[in-house]
Amino acid sequence: MQLVEKIIKGERAAIAKAITLVESSRENDKKESRKLISELLNKPGKSIRVGFSGPPGVGKSTFIESFGRYLVEKNYKLGILAIDPSSQITGGSILGDKTRMIEISKNPNTFIRSTPSRGSLGGISIGTREASIILDAAGYDFIFIETVGVGQSETMATNLVDIFSLIVGPGSGDELQGIKKGITEYADIFIVNKNDGDLKSEASKTASDYKSAISFYKKSNDTADKEVLLVSAIEQTGMEKVIETIQNIVSQNKKNKNFDDRRAKQFTYWIEEEVKEIIQFKIQKKIKADSSISQLSQKVMDGKIQMFEAIEAITENLQNK
Amino acid sequence: MKTKNIDNYTKWQKSFERETKIDLNEASSETDEGIEIKPVYTKADIENLSFVDNDSLPGQLPYTRGPKASMYTNRPWTIRQYAGFSTAEESNDFYKKNLKSGQKGLSVAFDLPTHRGYDSDDDLVMGDVGKAGVAIDTVEDMKILFNDIPLDQMSVSMTMNGAVLPVLSSFIVAGEEQNVNQNLLSGTIQNDILKEFMVRNTYIYPPDPSMKIVADIIEFTSKEMPKFNSISISGYHMQEAGADNVLELAYTLADGMEYVRAALSKGLDIDDFAPRLSFFFAIGTDFFMEIAKLRAARTLWYKIMKDFGAKNEKSLILRTHCQTSGVSLTEKDPYNNIIRTSYEALSAILGGTQSLHTNSFDEAIALPTDESARIARNTQLILQNETGVTNTVDPLAGSYFIESLTDELSKKAWEVIEEIESIGGMTKAVKAGVPKLKIEESATKKQAKVDSGSRVVVGVNKFKNPKEPKVDVRVIDNNRVRDDQIKKINDVKASRDQKAVDESLAKLVTAAKEGSNLLARSIDAIKNRATVGEVSKALEQVYGRHFATSLSVSGVYGKHFEGDEDFMNVTKKVNIFEKENGRRPRVLVVKMGQDGHDRGAKIVATSFADMGFDVDMGPLFQSPKDVAKDAIENDVHAIGVSTLAAGHKTLVPELMKSLKEIDPKSKIIVFVGGVIPEQDYNFLYKNNISAIFGPGSNIIESAEKVIDLISDKIHKNN
Ligand code: B12
Ligand SMILES: Nc1nc2c(ncn2[C@@H]2O[C@H](COP(=O)(O)OP(=O)(O)OP(=O)(O)O)[C@@H](O)[C@H]2O)c(=O)[nH]1
Ligand SMILES: [Mg+2]
Repeated sequence: MQLVEKIIKGERAAIAKAITLVESSRENDKKESRKLISELLNKPGKSIRVGFSGPPGVGKSTFIESFGRYLVEKNYKLGILAIDPSSQITGGSILGDKTRMIEISKNPNTFIRSTPSRGSLGGISIGTREASIILDAAGYDFIFIETVGVGQSETMATNLVDIFSLIVGPGSGDELQGIKKGITEYADIFIVNKNDGDLKSEASKTASDYKSAISFYKKSNDTADKEVLLVSAIEQTGMEKVIETIQNIVSQNKKNKNFDDRRAKQFTYWIEEEVKEIIQFKIQKKIKADSSISQLSQKVMDGKIQMFEAIEAITENLQNK
Repeated sequence: MKTKNIDNYTKWQKSFERETKIDLNEASSETDEGIEIKPVYTKADIENLSFVDNDSLPGQLPYTRGPKASMYTNRPWTIRQYAGFSTAEESNDFYKKNLKSGQKGLSVAFDLPTHRGYDSDDDLVMGDVGKAGVAIDTVEDMKILFNDIPLDQMSVSMTMNGAVLPVLSSFIVAGEEQNVNQNLLSGTIQNDILKEFMVRNTYIYPPDPSMKIVADIIEFTSKEMPKFNSISISGYHMQEAGADNVLELAYTLADGMEYVRAALSKGLDIDDFAPRLSFFFAIGTDFFMEIAKLRAARTLWYKIMKDFGAKNEKSLILRTHCQTSGVSLTEKDPYNNIIRTSYEALSAILGGTQSLHTNSFDEAIALPTDESARIARNTQLILQNETGVTNTVDPLAGSYFIESLTDELSKKAWEVIEEIESIGGMTKAVKAGVPKLKIEESATKKQAKVDSGSRVVVGVNKFKNPKEPKVDVRVIDNNRVRDDQIKKINDVKASRDQKAVDESLAKLVTAAKEGSNLLARSIDAIKNRATVGEVSKALEQVYGRHFATSLSVSGVYGKHFEGDEDFMNVTKKVNIFEKENGRRPRVLVVKMGQDGHDRGAKIVATSFADMGFDVDMGPLFQSPKDVAKDAIENDVHAIGVSTLAAGHKTLVPELMKSLKEIDPKSKIIVFVGGVIPEQDYNFLYKNNISAIFGPGSNIIESAEKVIDLISDKIHKNN
């Protein structure tokens, strides 16, 4: 497949088209997408996938710009997937994250793609996983995934990335109470942003809140330590600590196999999901075509048979077809 | 009300309802500001006013009726036309001609590279040199600009904010080298950075150091330049960006308060600098509202300054320049603009402005020609000489409607000012981006009203001219201007004492680090022939360059069109498109070069998203290369270039080239919106531009055309 070669060569337009393909909601595209991804999986790259989530406006994009600038100066190649919410009402979206990634978006060693969430659950959009495989095959050292909100930490952390970091702003301590369990469990790194100017003392306080929160977390011996880091995206401070932490976690997790385990689990989950999707699609088609369903339900309404009988009959019927 | 008045009113109401067949309670209209306008006003409406004092006279507090007792009966307002283009030589010529023909003061429009602190030889500004104003790189250019114009006699206003230090320094040094001491210079420097972050977009440094620079200039001029206005606190640009009159008035005065505080923090006494604060407002088409706005502005500023503890009467008085609204002027049937401008000018005068710029009828096409500029100037000469408006002061005082409107506007604006104060003042508000977003929301509403036809714009959405007239356009060859400028820069650099330049720039950097006054240091550097770009870059080393984060409104446009057929037709097409193509039509809206006009781009982006498009929004000041990379990585169907500052003939072909460089087979459609003279259409089409959307384009129609073009392209490729 020509597209595969182009992706591996790192051709920008080919990578972009491939991402469009894996994001497409068209049935034909899905098949092709699966083929493409299968081929790319045979040619894995070396990327580390890092998720950045956090409430709206905490500075996720600004942080990625700032951290990204730091990394490209050190000659790393960065793939960035930014997921922006689509409007609930119109389905359209304004993809504005790039207005905050001005410097890195100019750099030839970056590839930045915004994707509308299209109402998908958990803020992660259809195709994000596949897109990261494409960027991996294309030779990017890091793949950063930006999503809004903290609610989807679990989905993101367990299914998609090697390292999951939560970005918070100064003074988000209250929020902490409510979500403590989820985040302490799923986030590998807590980044307290906006540690600058008037906000400095508030930021340190927030950081210590998080530190004490994670101290409750029962750590099994072989996993890497969770870290709380203070940064200012605007002043570009604290960046070396972030990369150090990422690298430490990666090397520790690689040493004790956690890294591969996590990926293996994600892979199994993914296959399950794909299978579910395909079966669901097929069943839906069958259900639509099955006229006996409406007949049976009429019988239920007329009191001729019981509802559970109808359901069992229909299921049996669909399975045998 | 007296019984007789009540009787009269009841009778009038009956007649009104009989004539109109409308219940009086339902007969009011509502302005953009949310102010109710009743069909009739009576004495009762001016009986319990909160801000206006009916007994005060012109020149008396709270100065509602005017800053001076005699106003135009003594001396008419100053005709001050804003102009500048191409090289200093050409602009100087133009100024001298205008002064001969009755203009009284000068007002310099600089080009965008100068505004943003880049020299003409900088690669970043290739398309922008001399295009939207005059290019000034060194003090030599500034000297040419005022050749044969004696700076001890001519008052000069300069719209400069971002690069205010090197430009004001060049002006001071040019004066000095004309043998005019700085204490004799009169005029105004705009020096209003807050509204740059909000709407005008020619900032350079982040908000905090920018505010320091403003304060430095107020400090320096209050000591050394007693005849010079240290700042022109501007609401003009807010209205032009889409603000209604309450927002314009409130944000301007709130900006003013922030500048007062900045100057006080320098240890100055308020009465040492407050008399030299001046203002600048836009005058749009809402005739009475605009009059009320100027009266309200003076009334509120008096209160504000009183609260600051000002004692000198001059500190309490708001003096203002006004400009008629450019955004009210249309590309279609452009001679209508002469009429619009006349009414707006009359508003400004009835409101009591101190000086005025009237726009030319070719406003929505290009910079004015000699001919269109002449008509614009004559609009004011006719008002001054033929209409008798100068013979009596504040002729509308006592009008039930005007007085009540003045008070109503004051109240509404005061609420907004208090809101801004409660979050800690304008610098904080601007950093959070709230005022900008409010203005964009207001702009989007206005657009929706015009596109839906609920607001009539003659010649645009109603009463169209079947035979559009052809008009002449001023053409500027930016490549020639750029070459000229580069040559002049090189000459200056070859003959200057480089060591002196380096030393004075180093001192400037030290001053920035130490926090001492920067204007004096900048004057030294400019005297030594450092360029505008070099001075700006030196400070950039310390302060960094500011990049704005832009927020977007959403749902405002769509809400106006609930159930609208044309609108739903487009959303339907979008949904079908999504089914067929597996994704929504995706459009990247961009601004390239130094053009900071973002009103149109922002409105189009939010409206398209409301119609179901996925819209990528690029940041300001992108290079064509950056845009191409963005477009290809996001695999957009189309790029919409919004261009208003005349860079299109350089930047658009560059973009086409960059797209092909990254992807020789790129199928991305490119279309262009904004201010494009018809003479350039063919040039753009030849460069493979698919469509052009000029000023006044209906956004729903534009969206339909865009989705059709995208669909066609996809079908052709399959
Ligand atoms: C508003 C305005 C401003 C505001 C801008 C506020 C803002 N944040 O946008 C302020 C007052 C700040 C301003 C400042 C300046 N301005 Co001005 N400004 C205008 C004005 C009056 C209206 C533009 C506007 O916003 N219209 C309303 C919007 C909604 O319309 P629009 O942008 O045209 O968009 C419509 C269509 O064009 C189309 N469209 C546009 N883009 C796109 C994109 C897509 C994808 C699609 C589908 C459609 C589309 O659809 C839109 C809806 O109908 C024009 C003259 C005019 N009447 O057009 C001058 C004008 C553009 N300005 C001009 C100049 C020179 C300046 C300055 C450079 C002056 C100076 N020397 O200092 C400054 C600097 C500004 C800067 N940083 O770049 C000149 C440019 C000269 C030229 N082209 O040859 C003009 C033409 C006036 C003139 N004749 O002199 N300006
Ligand atoms: N003081 C300070 N402000 C910051 C910092 N980082 C970001 N901001 C500001 O926070 C605001 C939001 O920044 P973004 O980067 O857009 O935040 P985000 O989390 O990506 O936002 P969404 O994508 O909309 O959820 C902007 O106004 C930034 O300027 C920082 O380190 N310090
Ligand atoms: Mg973001």
